[in-house]
Amino acid sequence: MFIDRSMTKRVLTIGKDTNILEARDLMKEHHIRHLPVVEPDGTLIGIVTDRDIRSAMPSILQDELNCDAVDDKLRKVTVDRFMTPDPMTIPPTYTIQDALLLIQDKKVGAFPVVDDAGKLKGIVSIRDLIRAFINVLNIGEPGMLLGILVEDKVGQLKQIVDAITEEKIAFGSVLVSRHWEEGKRAVFPYLLTNNIARIKKKLRDMGYTLLDPMEWYLDQLPKNE
Amino acid sequence: MRRTGFLYDERYLLHCTGSCHPESPERLKAAYKGIEDAGLLPKLTRIHAVPAQQRWVEKVHHINYILRFEEACMMGMDELDYPDNQMCRETYDTAMLAVGGILETVKMVMEDKIDNAFCAVRPPGHHAEVNKAMGFCYFNNVAVAARYIQEEWGIERVGIVDFDVHHGNGTQHIFEYDPTVYYYSIHEHPSFAFPGTGREFEKGADAGQGYTFNTPVLPGQGDREYLDLIKQDLLPAFEFFQPEFILASTGFDAHAEDDMSDIKLSTEMFTWIMKVLMGLADKYAEGRIISVLEGGYSIQRLPELIKNHVEVMMTP
Repeated sequence: MFIDRSMTKRVLTIGKDTNILEARDLMKEHHIRHLPVVEPDGTLIGIVTDRDIRSAMPSILQDELNCDAVDDKLRKVTVDRFMTPDPMTIPPTYTIQDALLLIQDKKVGAFPVVDDAGKLKGIVSIRDLIRAFINVLNIGEPGMLLGILVEDKVGQLKQIVDAITEEKIAFGSVLVSRHWEEGKRAVFPYLLTNNIARIKKKLRDMGYTLLDPMEWYLDQLPKNE
Repeated sequence: MRRTGFLYDERYLLHCTGSCHPESPERLKAAYKGIEDAGLLPKLTRIHAVPAQQRWVEKVHHINYILRFEEACMMGMDELDYPDNQMCRETYDTAMLAVGGILETVKMVMEDKIDNAFCAVRPPGHHAEVNKAMGFCYFNNVAVAARYIQEEWGIERVGIVDFDVHHGNGTQHIFEYDPTVYYYSIHEHPSFAFPGTGREFEKGADAGQGYTFNTPVLPGQGDREYLDLIKQDLLPAFEFFQPEFILASTGFDAHAEDDMSDIKLSTEMFTWIMKVLMGLADKYAEGRIISVLEGGYSIQRLPELIKNHVEVMMTP
């Protein structure tokens, strides 16, 4: 799962002499929040975010200002004055997991992807990662989720997968929450079927507890309070 | 007493889904038995199925899909598109009879031979997409009926109310861009139930923006929530839309004893829902309402639920 398979490859970029109004309009027009700043040879030198632009612009509350005059001044403000120079980047050989952990750790919305020569190859944003996860969860396909409580011991998942497969039901995805309660895990198979009653019965007959849907959760990662 | 039609045909039992499949012919036998045992048959206008003309099915489904479905049946294949959709050699003909029977029912309402009707059909329809079978459904019965009502009988605005416990993805997608057909659905929340669509923020698109309304209900909830949500969501929606004809996608699988969902409706709640729909039909649509069976899998509960449902339709 290398990042170059999930990143946006056709990246909209700007040069360092682009002015702030042009940068703002580009973001608006293309519904993006990050603009990498590159040299003519494609070398990355900085990044401009929508937040950088907002903080560099005069307040919209200052409407007593003469707008035309302000715009004239803003047109002289080039992005090299407020971009983040030498932003944090990742190489195309990083994995999706790397990107997820880094985005969480560094609290940024996107990473430019650059090769060894410092040339921009793409950009990977939270949106790209969300798209990848919607894809692996398979929730675009018709189906439904089950929540099964299992002992935290080897072989439980196999039994569940076998039982469901015997009913000729296909899996969209399987999530496992490892820390449900002491000695237990929760398994969430997303099943591509509407024919759910008999599989529920079968799992109960096998001795599994089906979790109350109102009690389901996934997030058990330690949070940095 | 209202002149209520009852569409039922023994050929609807010929669509076989194999053993252990919840969408079984037994469901329809249970429905019929409920009506027969209550002595309602003599008071109903019986409607018999005729195969639909393909041109009406084509108003909703892609011709390639129709032919693919027919061919799959002729070849004796036992499923279509998903393993959920088990079928036999009679499935295509049965699906055509379901649509055709409902169109015949529409005709009788429009010719003022009956006031309203309940259609006990198989296979169900609301999951069927333009070019795909899904969730035990092959042709979208209600969607074809809506197009027929509009194009053959000149009715402009058709309101669809879907209270099957599963979201009618097919019906929604077919009319998503269309402001002349309003799709309202109340169902178990899609994060917990098949097919995973029907979220609150799905409201139609382009010209159809604002003509789709979804009320997802959380697992474990029941009468109280349905009562409040239907009053809060459906009533204003139809006051805004003013439907001239109402089609109900009627499912009984939100019943507490139906193990296809986690919604816990009482038997009485289904009666209340139907009374609300009858009220809406009287208020906006000159009483024109046709209820078409979708899901509902508790063979024990179906006879009573369907008897009650039809009795509400017969009551002035």
